[in-house]
Amino acid sequence: MTRTSPLAGVKTDTLFVNLGPQHPSTHGVLRVGLTIDGEVITKAVPDIGYLHRGTSKLAEVRGYHHCVVLTDRWDYVSAMPNNLVFCLAAEKLMGLKIPPRAKALRVLMCELNRIASHLLFFGTYGIDLGAFTPFLYAFREREMVLDLFEMCCGARLTYNYIRLGGVMVDVGDNWIAKTKEFIEYFKPRLDEYDTLLTYNPIFMVRTREVGKIAAEVAVNWGLSGPNLRGSGVNYDVRKADPYCGYEQYDFEVPLGKSGSCWDRYFCRVSEMRQSVRLCEQVLATLPPGEFMAMGVAKVPKPAAGEAYAHVEGARGDLGIYLVSDGQASPYRMHVRAPSFINLAILQEMLVGNKVSDVIAILGSIDIVLGEVDR
Amino acid sequence: MTASGSGQAPPPKKVIPDPVFNEKNGRLLKDTRYWPTEVWANPWASPAYRRGAMLLIGIIGAIFATGWMIGELAPLGDTLYQLIASVASAGGLPQTATEATWIMIKALIILHVVLINGLWAVWWERKISAHIQSRVGPTYAGGFHGWAQTILDGIKLLLKEDITPAVADKWVHALAPAIVVVPVIIAFAPVSFGSQLAAADIDVGVLYIFAFAGISVIGVVMGGWASGNKYSLLGGLRATAQLVSYELPRGFSVVPVIMFSGSLDLSVIAHAQAGYWLGFIPKWFIFYPLVGQLAFIIFLIASVAETNRTPFDIPEAESELVSGFHTEYSGMKWSMFFLTEYGYVLLACFLLATFFLGGGAAPLPGLEIIPSWIWMLGKAMAMMFVFLWVRWTFPRFRADQLMDFNWKFLLPWSFANIAFAAAALLYLS
Amino acid sequence: MIAYFRTVFTAAWALLQGMAITLKYLFKPSITIHYPTEKLVPYEKFRGALLFDAETCISCNLCVKACPSACIQLENATNPQTKKKIAKVDWYSIDFGKCNFCRLCEEVCPTKPKAVWHSLDYEVVFYTRDEMVRCWKAGINYIGKYWNRKEKIFKDPEGQISIQEVHSRR
Repeated sequence: MTRTSPLAGVKTDTLFVNLGPQHPSTHGVLRVGLTIDGEVITKAVPDIGYLHRGTSKLAEVRGYHHCVVLTDRWDYVSAMPNNLVFCLAAEKLMGLKIPPRAKALRVLMCELNRIASHLLFFGTYGIDLGAFTPFLYAFREREMVLDLFEMCCGARLTYNYIRLGGVMVDVGDNWIAKTKEFIEYFKPRLDEYDTLLTYNPIFMVRTREVGKIAAEVAVNWGLSGPNLRGSGVNYDVRKADPYCGYEQYDFEVPLGKSGSCWDRYFCRVSEMRQSVRLCEQVLATLPPGEFMAMGVAKVPKPAAGEAYAHVEGARGDLGIYLVSDGQASPYRMHVRAPSFINLAILQEMLVGNKVSDVIAILGSIDIVLGEVDR
Repeated sequence: MTASGSGQAPPPKKVIPDPVFNEKNGRLLKDTRYWPTEVWANPWASPAYRRGAMLLIGIIGAIFATGWMIGELAPLGDTLYQLIASVASAGGLPQTATEATWIMIKALIILHVVLINGLWAVWWERKISAHIQSRVGPTYAGGFHGWAQTILDGIKLLLKEDITPAVADKWVHALAPAIVVVPVIIAFAPVSFGSQLAAADIDVGVLYIFAFAGISVIGVVMGGWASGNKYSLLGGLRATAQLVSYELPRGFSVVPVIMFSGSLDLSVIAHAQAGYWLGFIPKWFIFYPLVGQLAFIIFLIASVAETNRTPFDIPEAESELVSGFHTEYSGMKWSMFFLTEYGYVLLACFLLATFFLGGGAAPLPGLEIIPSWIWMLGKAMAMMFVFLWVRWTFPRFRADQLMDFNWKFLLPWSFANIAFAAAALLYLS
Repeated sequence: MIAYFRTVFTAAWALLQGMAITLKYLFKPSITIHYPTEKLVPYEKFRGALLFDAETCISCNLCVKACPSACIQLENATNPQTKKKIAKVDWYSIDFGKCNFCRLCEEVCPTKPKAVWHSLDYEVVFYTRDEMVRCWKAGINYIGKYWNRKEKIFKDPEGQISIQEVHSRR
């Protein structure tokens, strides 16, 4: 006997819901057009461009020193790698040689910034899943990192610290002592985060089976950073293509297993531990000497040519392609923004999930709209 | 500089002045960056911390004082009743008039319990959540630890524009807050605030409370439906599923209590828990081995879910549904929803205290000299702290996981608990 | 069966541990700075609102060229007799609406002490758009004045901090 559904003949319809751009947890001005059937997503269309400022175009009319200021505004929660990647590309064009102390300081700042960025992710992911308290704990620690940046370079968010040929200013002993104080304070906090969120059963049940990306799919969509490593693909620019002397330091690349939201989250939390390790190593082996290369032109005019540099930003493989035609400003600048490329997979991942999972997945991809739209 | 040795005094070093700030409002902090490493090093050295500790002691004292005051004022009720009766008989009115007036007065008192609880609980929640998160919470309104914050918020909500969305179902939209808030006030009637202290001594008090507490969900669904907002609609629908489901384990977890005490009357249940085992373990229901703890945990979890609070706040999940069913409400209509939430929290706290923590019974023999209403209020407030504590610690469930948790975990265990209780009763008899 | 109970108890234990952490912080002092009543002095290198000293400036135009967002404008003073440009500034303006606070202008300034430098003022708040564009001339203090378009006069910015000199920085 075949059973007929009690709902047979009932006319049902899907519902179109605008998630964003003013939604509280789209992390900026992302809009996702969701077609939902009950609570299940049948179609998701991310809509970006609300924060477009055209920095690639702006760079074409600015000198190389000025472009560093523009890069601060892409990924504004971790601006140091942005500065760094532009400087690396421009230095390649100009053939500058960077003093070892500047290199070590660059590594140190990028790792501190990675901690700050991942702390923001940790906090906002907690909020996305309804836990408000870890957010403020994370920000409490993040404030300390930002204080360190303020003490070192004067700004808390848009640093303009890493410059062509080196860094803006040297760090003092006072700063180094403060950084060590922070690191000592921060290590036990990471264990608390694990207790509060990582191994919280509610958190795990929310994230472990949700938003799984197979390794193959992740590679095909061009994901990078913790999103890729969460799927178990061991690709980290710091290891694969070392820059700024990352090869001298001892650190691990945390990998996930199943590529679920929890794995991506766990990769980031583990990366914070590795960043702490890296900071300690850099502080222990900080070489003396100049912090700025000699002979950096006030108005650099590199010879015609092209250069590509990429770094492991907090969100993934951040690359810059610079073309010079011998003028004072770049002929063309192209940014490989990891957030933008990571966001593309969203439309495929969301289908079939619940509305609550949209937030969990979106949060776990950890986009910054400043970098998506540039 | 002075190496020239010409005998001339070196030029006086330019004195660097301290940065001058706009000190129009406030003092300047020059030394500390407020790093936790500095602030937590020696908390008792900071006067603010000592003041905070004093305030906490003061609040606990005030809770007990309130409990004492309730008890002291209660006998005045009899006098008042006599007065009304004499006035009524002098005016030649029938006995029902006296009763009606008396019920009105009692209803008014219950109404104010809910209202004042709203003021207090919101402030308390803000303070507790703030300090859990290393913040301070409201500090300015009223001058002293922001004590007037919720009063002023209430005034603000009263003065706010009442917005009804253009696409809203106007009548249903306006009616929903009322339907939400009325049952909670009604449900308070049989709650005993101490021995012999209940607005209505109903024989089936437990059933009465659960019956009326279930009505609020209709208002929530109406609010979600009538707002004309898709998020509200989702929130309202989620609320239906959740509240209806969690009624079941909540009711069933109380069944062992009723079996042991043999009554549905709240004051009888409270009285059944008086006395001590071995002279010092109170005979509270939570201390009944296995059955008591299981029932307590299930009732606590289900109560948190019934009050729509984290980790079960999916109907209003602010990161998913913006604000769920009350997204489109503003001003006083919105605060009705809020009042309801805190009313139910208080109700759940009193029920927890009555069912599991012995009501007005003292925790140790010899402490009976402290009146029951003080114990009752103290226990209820302790439970309220647990509510806040849970809320500000955990992330939230997903809608289907919430259902799984209810139907596959809480409900079976509450049934099992009834079986355990029955077995224990059989064994004891 | 044992696995089931183990799961339940591990979950419950993890939840209780989380609650223990929040309880621990409940009794720790808060780290909040009560901002309007308590203010921090930023670190020495802090890049706050730009200040300008018209007496020191030699009108070399380097800061104008260094600015990535073109928010600085200036005009040379001229000798009234010879009508030739001299190394003094006639007027100097910064548009804080465009300013990036990037420190490039301060770094490039050749005078000693610096003619344009970042103060420690982080309370850069404007009531009107007019106030964002600050103008300096000889005799105007470091904060500058703004051109009030309504009243058609130069005015002192309202509620702005009187002065913050950072001598060690200049």
